[in-house]
Amino acid sequence: MRSQTMTCREIDGVIGSHSGDSTLSREAAEHVAECESCRRLVKALDTGHTSLEPSESRLRQIQAAIKEDLRPVRPLASSGVFLLAFMLISLAVVAIGSLLLGVNGWNALSTIQRMTIFAALTASVFLLAISVVRQMAPGGKPSISPRLLPIGILAGLILATAVIFQVRHETAFVPDGLACLRTGMTYSIPAALLFWVLLSRGAVLYPKLTGAAAGGFAGLIGVSVLEVGCPNLDLYHILVWHLGVILLCAIGGLSLGAAVGHFRRRSIRGHSRF
Amino acid sequence: MQLEAQPSAFPNAEFEQLMARYQQADPGAVAVLVERLSPQLYRFFASQLGNRADAEDMLQDTWMRIHRVRHTYRAGDPVLPWVYMIARRVRVDNYRKRIRISSRETSVDVLPEVSTRNDETSSLPSFEELVAVLPESQREVVTMLKVDGLSLEEIARVTSSTTGAVKQKAHRAYERLRKILERATKGPERTPPPQSASKGVAQ
Repeated sequence: MRSQTMTCREIDGVIGSHSGDSTLSREAAEHVAECESCRRLVKALDTGHTSLEPSESRLRQIQAAIKEDLRPVRPLASSGVFLLAFMLISLAVVAIGSLLLGVNGWNALSTIQRMTIFAALTASVFLLAISVVRQMAPGGKPSISPRLLPIGILAGLILATAVIFQVRHETAFVPDGLACLRTGMTYSIPAALLFWVLLSRGAVLYPKLTGAAAGGFAGLIGVSVLEVGCPNLDLYHILVWHLGVILLCAIGGLSLGAAVGHFRRRSIRGHSRF
Repeated sequence: MQLEAQPSAFPNAEFEQLMARYQQADPGAVAVLVERLSPQLYRFFASQLGNRADAEDMLQDTWMRIHRVRHTYRAGDPVLPWVYMIARRVRVDNYRKRIRISSRETSVDVLPEVSTRNDETSSLPSFEELVAVLPESQREVVTMLKVDGLSLEEIARVTSSTTGAVKQKAHRAYERLRKILERATKGPERTPPPQSASKGVAQ
């Protein structure tokens, strides 16, 4: 309905925008007075919930339980500090991997391949690091969906790989591949453990989600080591055995997150009994 | 005419100071925070659950979790999105627990009944009955806006979404509620069942 002053849609904005002032503006009040539909809505939304209060005894119980376990805590360091820590761990693991495995992969890549694959890997590492750091403290500014980001990153890497690498004749697809998978996991697992140490400082509310993201992040480190060290440029080898490290690590992180979530719920239930 | 979006009685800055004192183990700050935030949190649970005993349990669970992760609150950040994100997680866990329990029991879904009395006010369904017919994501937004008094920006932080998306959800919810209310005031009808089989919880 359109009154002289406001539309029903504009009234939705008034209902929805919380200003701390509980009285309707003159224009809104005029519209509500004229429009039966809006009047009913405003009335209905104001009905019934104001009387809901927790019992006094329960509040006393909560206060007592908290005070019993009250001790000073050091607030979480800023996001920037954690981001730096994640990036330093990533760099350190890739550097160690390159020292131990050599740089045959780097040398085998053409300039275009080198630029594309390492730009994609660096961007992916950076985005996942931001996402994981944001998940450590609840209620932060919204960023890219933590559910969609790992999927998007994997899809992007598959696409980049498919564009810049070609199918080559492979004589030992599985044995070579398994060796690469093992090498990738060898570097991803320590990275994942170090990430977990950092993550345990925060409040991970959705452990499965964070576990999958952190696992995928660690997998990316393993892939970076492989891209520097492995000279095999066959498209299928890279798609299956290199990028497979990300998938395996993400699944591992998801499973670990599920287990952590389960144990945490049980421990909280235990503590909740006063 | 009043719009009772019950804003928290405390401005954000005071909540922030209280949180800082809580982190320094000030028992006075704990008492004030529990007293001030609990009614809001309780309404957040009760308005969506309809079960007040469960709501008290979830309130308690929320405070235990808040206590455990109190160090993750950073000075200068808004307190309410931090608190509500934890509360939202508690609600998700509780919902899953209820699903597990109800799968072992015979479920009896009671559809919200609309009163058929004559005068306009009494013929309106209660807030709980009304929001029960909304899809979970819309119900959550309307509850946080109208019952808990959170701003659109705060809800966007809690739900890891954007202000525009929250606004859109609220608008769709109001549109739906207008239609339901129109039908409810026309005659003794039952409001349509919720889209989901039971009161679902979006993660």
